[in-house]
Amino acid sequence: MSTESPHEPLDALLATWPTADAVLSIDVQQVNHHYGTGEMRKQVLFDNHLQVRAGEIVIMTGPSGSGKTTLLTLLGTLRSVQEGSLKVLGTELFGLGATATTELRKRIGFIFQAHNLFESLTAFQNVGMATELLGIPTSEAKPQIEQTLHRLGLGQRLHYRPKALSGGQKQRVAVARGIIHRPGLILADEPTAALDAESGREVVTLFQELAQQHQCTIVIVTHDNRILDVADRIVSMVDGRIVSNVLVKRNQLLSQFLVRIELFRVLSTSVLTKVADKFDLQSFPAGSEIIRQGDVGDLFYVIGSGQVAIEMDGQQVNRLGPGAFFGEVALIRDQPRNATVRALEDARCFVLHKADFQTILQQSTSFEEELRKAIFSRQ
Amino acid sequence: MNRTPLAWKNLTYDKWRLFVAGCGIAFAVVLMFQQRGFQHALFDSTVEIVRELDCDLVLLRPNRFALSVETRFDRHLVDVAASHEGVAAARPLYIENLAARLRRDQQRAQPIRVLGFHLGDRIFLDRDGELAWQLDALTAPATALMDRLSRAEYGFDFSSNAPWPQMGELNGRQLSMEGTFRSGRDFAHNGNLLMSAENFATYFRHRGPDPLAQVDLGLVKVAAGYSHEQVRERLQASFGPEVDVLTRQALIEREMAMWDRDTPIGVIFTVGTLMGFVVGVIICYQVLATSITDHLSEFATLKAMGYDNPYFVRLTILQSVYLALLGFGPGLVLSWGLFQFNASYTALPMILTVGRVTFVLVATLAMCILSGLLALRKLFSADPASLF
Repeated sequence: MSTESPHEPLDALLATWPTADAVLSIDVQQVNHHYGTGEMRKQVLFDNHLQVRAGEIVIMTGPSGSGKTTLLTLLGTLRSVQEGSLKVLGTELFGLGATATTELRKRIGFIFQAHNLFESLTAFQNVGMATELLGIPTSEAKPQIEQTLHRLGLGQRLHYRPKALSGGQKQRVAVARGIIHRPGLILADEPTAALDAESGREVVTLFQELAQQHQCTIVIVTHDNRILDVADRIVSMVDGRIVSNVLVKRNQLLSQFLVRIELFRVLSTSVLTKVADKFDLQSFPAGSEIIRQGDVGDLFYVIGSGQVAIEMDGQQVNRLGPGAFFGEVALIRDQPRNATVRALEDARCFVLHKADFQTILQQSTSFEEELRKAIFSRQ
Repeated sequence: MNRTPLAWKNLTYDKWRLFVAGCGIAFAVVLMFQQRGFQHALFDSTVEIVRELDCDLVLLRPNRFALSVETRFDRHLVDVAASHEGVAAARPLYIENLAARLRRDQQRAQPIRVLGFHLGDRIFLDRDGELAWQLDALTAPATALMDRLSRAEYGFDFSSNAPWPQMGELNGRQLSMEGTFRSGRDFAHNGNLLMSAENFATYFRHRGPDPLAQVDLGLVKVAAGYSHEQVRERLQASFGPEVDVLTRQALIEREMAMWDRDTPIGVIFTVGTLMGFVVGVIICYQVLATSITDHLSEFATLKAMGYDNPYFVRLTILQSVYLALLGFGPGLVLSWGLFQFNASYTALPMILTVGRVTFVLVATLAMCILSGLLALRKLFSADPASLF
């Protein structure tokens, strides 16, 4: 990390930060699910909500029986939605007809824990089953299949039957079959469990490329800690409920950014990570007022990019740039805004709500001291 | 685009299983061929003698609803027929069956069909020419040729190096078998004898003062350039209800239909054929169902990927058709061999015609497709939700 330029985490952060108008690949609203009927009826999903934007890599964790598999089968149209709304790639799954279901399935890539390859077909032919379904002409599909298998280290094994392949190689063929048709959504169940570190890494790198280059959304159920770093979002489920839904990649980059600021350096890593999760990103066009003197204040701002001016009673008193913060005084003293802040150029600020801000104050006395020092030095 | 031949690949991947499956289907095919073969053979055997007659039309009494029914008509009607326009020749054939008892040495006397004809009339096709050179021997009194496919119980030696003549006793009188010819036996007849009309008259005096006054069949040869059907119609019109005039083919069909319709033989063999069919369905279903259950998660994966039910129906039917054809080929070859064996062993005419082969082929396809459709239910039970 030492060779990294100081702005790299910030640039990456701003680039990957989801914007409010991003396309949702998955939109789960109030989904409940039951197994069995009558007295045997047992609820396995409780009021689940989950929104995933296109191009996100989501890792789902949770103990067995927590409902993550059920949620995955619902997302994959392999089970019908009983209650609530579930939109995948823009299609509402509740009450979806058979033909529409089949059509939607073609836009989803499945990678199962078992490779499920036909013993009678070669690696190439197994992967070809996916391209054929979409009617991709052989001339077009052939180089694609060869290239993908090559990427996954199977270039020398194109025409081998599963019997002649190792467990890891078979799993990689299954991965190739799941991604070859450039699906909009990939659902993968322990895709790296059977793989060694190197090929596991190759698979997740491929996932990342698909996510970044083709806006492909990827949901992975895994217990493999080696690949947690690729997750944009980690969702954990317990007893049929989503108990945490964290944008880890964003939080990590934000923490890296925040820790460079004196004020946040005093926070422990765990507090910092929690804080990072609470931040939103707001954009302000050049010339707009971010806060106005005299208004009631309820947000704390850290500048991500752009320059802002502090104006008191119409006079510019200060100028702040990336890494600087403002808006804390009103929150601490419960007073109206004592100054106006105006964006001098297009600016983007990380904002924290008053309640979250006060939580940090309560948790860290050194943070409060740091903050007072900063306020004092500014006056 | 080139489709991956999944049906073929899945079927042929496990060579041993394919071999067993092929054998199973072939077994069913052989079973059906055998049943059909025997059924046809039995029907064929009843008309074998008609097939050997060199004639275009046959005259017979209307109430002779089967060849074995011994009703006769006046001989002069044959001469009348001979004088008709378009008729090249009309000859009588005399037949005795129930009243003819043959024995050899101290064996039990058994009924035998005796055919009498005027030696100058070439009423037999005599395809291999063996009658032609033996006719002279029949001019002597008390002589006959014996069908070497006659039942062995008569006590005659039909081996290739057997000494001829062999002596027998017909209706209590000596008869010298001068040699053999080949025809065959059927339900109603255990064997055949061939003799001159003159000899025939001496053995069957019970037929009347002139034993040859009544004929069993009149054999009409239509002159060149005349339509068989037109001549038949004209003859029929002139004879009225006294005599039926049939084309040779119509007689053959009528005779076979009689056995099929009026006896349980048709039903027995149809049940036998059906058994073969059912055995085939069960074997084929086992093969296809196992092939599907062994790959249930793979098929479920295909479903998850978006393959729809029509695809699986096509896949299974295709697999059924492959299986049917793979079993039919060896089954046909095997059946042909068995037919040869049966024909030589039972002296029944086991004949494979295009129509009969097609019948079994269609039955085999139907059998495999039916079991394929039954096995499909297993495929529909493949639940992609169980894969995660």
